[in-house]
Order: sequence, then structure tokens, then C-alpha cells
Amino acid sequence: MTTTALPRASSPETRSTPARRGGSLADQRRRLFVPFVGPALLLYVVLFVVPIFGAVWISFHKWAGSGPMTWSGIDNYRGLVADPLFRQSLGNTLKLLFVVGIAIFVLSFAMALVLRDMAGRKIVRSVIFFPHLVNALVYGILVGFIFNPDGLANSILKPLGVDAPPQWLAQDNLFPLIMVTMVWMTTGYYTTILMAGVDRIPPYYYEDCALAGANAWQRLRHVILPLTWDVFGVCAVLWTISSVKIFEIIWIFGASNGTGVPPAQTWTAAVYTYVTAFSGDSIPAYGAATASAVLSLFLVTVLVVLLRRVMRRDVIEF
Amino acid sequence: MATRVGRARWSTRLAAGVAAAVALALTGCSGSAAEQSGKEFTYWSMWKSGEPQQKVLADAIADFEQQHNVKIKVQWQGRTNLQKLVPALNTNDVPDLVDGPYLKMYPALAATKQALGLGEAYATQVDGKPAGELIPAKLLQNINIKYPDGQPWMLPYQIQSDAVWFNAAKHPELKTNPPKTWGEFIALLDRLKAAGETPIAADGDVAGYNAAYFGTMVLRESGPGALMKLASDKSGAAWDDPAVLDAAKKVEQLVKGGYFIKGYQASKFPAQQQKWANNGAALMFMGSWMPTESASYAAAGFEFGSFPFPTTGSQDSQRADVLGFAVPKKAKNAKLAQEFAAFFLGKKYQDASGAEAKMLPIRSDATTAPELADVKATLDNASAYHQQLDGVAFPGYNEKVLSPNDDELFLGKISAEQFVSKMKAAQIAYWKTQN
Repeated sequence: MTTTALPRASSPETRSTPARRGGSLADQRRRLFVPFVGPALLLYVVLFVVPIFGAVWISFHKWAGSGPMTWSGIDNYRGLVADPLFRQSLGNTLKLLFVVGIAIFVLSFAMALVLRDMAGRKIVRSVIFFPHLVNALVYGILVGFIFNPDGLANSILKPLGVDAPPQWLAQDNLFPLIMVTMVWMTTGYYTTILMAGVDRIPPYYYEDCALAGANAWQRLRHVILPLTWDVFGVCAVLWTISSVKIFEIIWIFGASNGTGVPPAQTWTAAVYTYVTAFSGDSIPAYGAATASAVLSLFLVTVLVVLLRRVMRRDVIEF
Repeated sequence: MATRVGRARWSTRLAAGVAAAVALALTGCSGSAAEQSGKEFTYWSMWKSGEPQQKVLADAIADFEQQHNVKIKVQWQGRTNLQKLVPALNTNDVPDLVDGPYLKMYPALAATKQALGLGEAYATQVDGKPAGELIPAKLLQNINIKYPDGQPWMLPYQIQSDAVWFNAAKHPELKTNPPKTWGEFIALLDRLKAAGETPIAADGDVAGYNAAYFGTMVLRESGPGALMKLASDKSGAAWDDPAVLDAAKKVEQLVKGGYFIKGYQASKFPAQQQKWANNGAALMFMGSWMPTESASYAAAGFEFGSFPFPTTGSQDSQRADVLGFAVPKKAKNAKLAQEFAAFFLGKKYQDASGAEAKMLPIRSDATTAPELADVKATLDNASAYHQQLDGVAFPGYNEKVLSPNDDELFLGKISAEQFVSKMKAAQIAYWKTQN
């Protein structure tokens, strides 16, 4: 029953009377904090935080997934840094993050602006959101139908006189194709979020712009961008986190519909991690795989923190 | 005040309740295994529901359940069953029986000594003989399915081999007079090409299939064990062996000769295999599962014929990968699981595997499907055997060292010399990170 003493110590009676009402609310909030946040926090700690520390621990070992673990210090990390395939995979992750990310944001923002005063915008919004609803696996299968040597693309090109069409699915072309597919899949999603931000700008700002004789660029620069900046920030963090996790589309795109390991040119850090632990064709290296995962997590954390810093602006209330 | 005390109590109780629920949920998964009686066991199968081999296994399970009055809790997991097994081995909820090919079973179970010695299964009487005697010893000359103490950790029930496949209805001459040497093989390819037929189909996006060419070529040059020796050389000097370069040159010869089907570098499996089954190419080098896998889309009147991969010298070993059962050490119903493993070697199920599932049963007296008659005859007459890629399974070696470089060779991006020097460098770097 010692708990009863705790709320008392910080109870509103000790504070000045005018703050009593607000203080009581704050006090109630404080008391509800534990029952409301506690379970979620507990689950989060048990299911996410503890495993992260577990992963860090495993990453300092040599371990085949079962059986004995042997301490290997930072050997796994040293191996990763020395492995050109890991560097290449990390490079691909960064390509997805920045190249695809910038393409998505430019397109989404442009679409959000165009759709703002377009007729039938609700229908258009649903249509451009649709690719995001389709499972990535579908694109993996579809790409075979379209780009196989006897596929749709070449069948269309043939009557047009193209006798030597590009080798669409050659290993070196797969990653660019994956990048294009990611843009196609994700643009609608961010357009929808950005449109919500753009829509919330009250019309009188635009009227003001019209009265002041501002052109479209000035309107964008001085009204739309500042007022949607916080939405941008959230989207950037969302994309950073989700781009680092991209996995299944690469697995299916280049891996003969999942029967083998995709070609190394298309690996991202996530695929590298998976192959190291679960390819099934060789003795699993859980230590090296967790090291790769921990390094990726570290990278994401740094990027998110940096991004938040760069994107930080005072939120404009309106 | 009373209400506040009540609320505080309520909140502590709630928090405690949630904590207890979470704790229960977390430990709950380990409880079920302990409750199992001795009269049932769990089997994680590499086969998926509906596959021909799965149907044969399901029949055997039904018979075994009836005869022994037990319940087999089977999960038709498909080919990733062993990848799922590895993390499960760290819990108390472990299946009693799993199956898979040696190449996947060894890394998942045997390398870490997590598989049980199957002495009991080998001693179980099947059709009047101990099960162990039904497994032809000559197949296991170069596949070590035993622990150092002599206990076998795997009970094979099937063989997987490979061959060069063709449509015997279209090319009856290959059935009567197949090419035996490399020279005859190249001559055949040239003849096919001259006749306007695409010589060889290949799905170049499957790294394992691509590597089968170089791998088999090395084994043809230097015999079983050569690829293992090559891959395990930490100094990389083994790559300087002229025989290795010669093996790579022969792959290059196929690529540069333009014998492969157009677009094999840029297609998705099984596009080229489908083309082959519809007479889009004459030959395809593939595993013994070819007739089962491509029967559904093969052209009307297609007749599966095959001949062994040509020889390049005196070595002529045949691929014989064994596929079978294993029991994890942690299994709670290991005895029953071993009994069933042996039971499946019964003639009835071995015959059904051969005739209905069109697989190669491990028992040499079992029925074989007509499509596999050539492969079976070759295996029976062979003097030596090897595994796919010679059983090389060092952590990450196949995926990160061999496949990326071999793909470049097979897809025509680099020459044989470049391949050998890249492999040498990559292998030296690989072994440095493994110490």
C-alpha cells in the first residue's frame, strides 16, 4: 500500500490554489500514466528493446543459429566492413533512401499541388493510392509477364521494328527496375499524406496571395511549403524507416519468384542480413547477420536524428 | 481520499495483471510440447500439400497412424522447413521429425550436432530387413551422413540426380546414341545449331542452376571431392590449378559459342524451362525432378529422355544427392519419429514414390517411372557419386563468393581467366573473415 503515499506527495494541496483545477487534471493524468503507458511500454521493452540488446550480444559471437556460441569480439563487424557485397548492399539501401525518396517526394508534392484544385480529385486520389495497396509480390510476378524475353514489353516492341530489345531483366537492370517500381508503389501513399497537409491550409492565404499578386512559385515558397513543412518532416522519417526495411520486393523481383537467392547486385542491407542467416544453402551465420542488422539499425537511427535536425522548424499554428 | 487509494490499487492491479498476462503469453508457447503424450509426434515436412510426393507421404502417415495407433501432427511447410527449424531449435517446441536434402540438412542440423543419431531407425525391421540395409552403401561413398562416432544422423528415402534432358519424341537419335564425351557434346550442339534449333535452354536467374555447370565441370575434370578441396583452400592457390581454368573455359565455350537460348541472361524462372518443354530448345541440364516439375506445361506428345552430363576426361561420377529424415536432438518423441522414418522405407511407399511421385526412391529395388529410367540406369551402373556442388556449405560461401562470380561467367560478362582470378581473390578475402 505504499503506493498511496506517492500521489499524496505530489497532490495538488501542496500547490497554490489558483492552479488547483489544472493541477488536479495534471494529477489525474499522472496517475493514469502508469496504467495507460505501462502495458504498452512493457510490451515494447519485452518485444523490441530486449531483442535489440540480444541482437547486439549475438553479433559479437560466431553462431550457427543453434548449438554453441563462440565469442568473436568485433570480428563480425570487421568482416562486414571488409565485405564488398555488404558495402554494395548498404549502397543500394542508400540509393533507395535518397534517390527513390527524392523522386517520390518531388512527384508526390507536384501531384498534391495539381490535385488541389482538380475536378474529380477524390477519384484520382483513390486511383493513385491503389498501387500502394497491392502486395509487392504481385509486382514481382507481374514483372516476369511484362519483361521476360517473350513478355508483353517485347511483344509490343516487335511490331514497331525493335529487333534487339533491351535485356530488361538482366542482373544489372534489376535494381533500377526495382527503384522505378518503388516510386510507382509509394508515390500515391505520400501524395495522400501531403494532400492532407496542403488541404488544411485555409483558403484565405491563397486569396491573400492573389491580392498581393504573388505568382505560383512565390505562393509555393511563402505559403504552401512553410505550412506543410511539419507534414514533410513526418513523411521523411516514415520513408527513412520503411526504405531501410525494403525486402520482399527485392526477394521476389530477382529471385526467380522466390526459388533462390536474388542476384547480389540487387541486395539491400536487409536482404544481405537475411541471406546471411536464412539462405538455407550454407551453414547459417547468425552472428554476422545480427551484426549487419545492428549496423543497419545504427545507420537508420543516425539518419533519422540528422533528418529531424535538418527538417526542424518552428511549427506554424494556423 | 478513499477513491484515490482505490484507483491507485486498481492501477497497480491492472499493471500486475497485464504483466502476468504478458508473462503467460511469452511462456505459453513452451507449455504445449510438455503436454504431448507419448503416442503422437510432430513432423515438419519439406513437401507442400498437393505435391505428388506429399500424397505418398500422407498415405504412409495414414497407414502408420492406423497400424500403430498414434497421431502424427504433420505440417506441410514446404522447402523452407529447415530454415524455420533453426530458430525453433533454441526453444522447447521442436518438431520430432523433419526432412530435406543433405545439402540443406547438414548446415541446419548436423554442422551444429543438433541431429539425433538414428541407430534405432536404422535397426528397425522393414520388409524383413533392418532399414539401414535398404540404403545402398555405394551412394554414400562421398556423402558423410554419419557423426564421427559412426552414428548416422539422416535416414535417406530419396535420391536426386541430374541429367541433360531432351524430348525423346523429337530426338529419338539421342536416346539410342547420346553424346558421351565433351567433344561429342559440342558436336551435337553444333549440329543442332546448324539445323536451326536452339541447343540449350537455361534459366540464368537461378544462381544454383548456373553454378551446376561449373561445379559439374570441375568434378568431371578432377573427380568427386575436387570442388570441396578447391573451396576450402584458404590460400586460394587451388584456383591456379590448370584443371580449374579448363573447367571454367568449358563453361565459357558454351556461353561464347552461342549455344544457350536467347534471353537466358534476362528472364525469370521458369520462363526458359517452359520454352524448353515446348520445344523452344533441344536440351536442358537439370535435376531429376524435371519430369515432375515441367509435366504440367510440356507440349503435347512430349517424351522425357535424358543422358548423363558428358565426360571431359576419365572422371564420370554421377550426381546422387540424398534426401531424407532427421530427428532433432531435442525431440520429445524421437522413438516414434524414428519408427515412422524407417516405416517409410517400406516397399509400398518406395514404389509409390517412384511410380506416382516420379521421384528416385533410395531403395534400388523400388519401381521407377519411365521418364526416369535412363537416370536410374546411369545411377545403377555408375562407379562413383558426387553431390551437387560437392557438398560445399561454408557459411555464406555459395551465396557471397561463388554465385556472384559464377553468374558473371555464366551470363557472359567475364572470361574464364577473369572468373578464376576473381574467385581466387574473393575466396582469400572470404577465409580471412572466417577466422
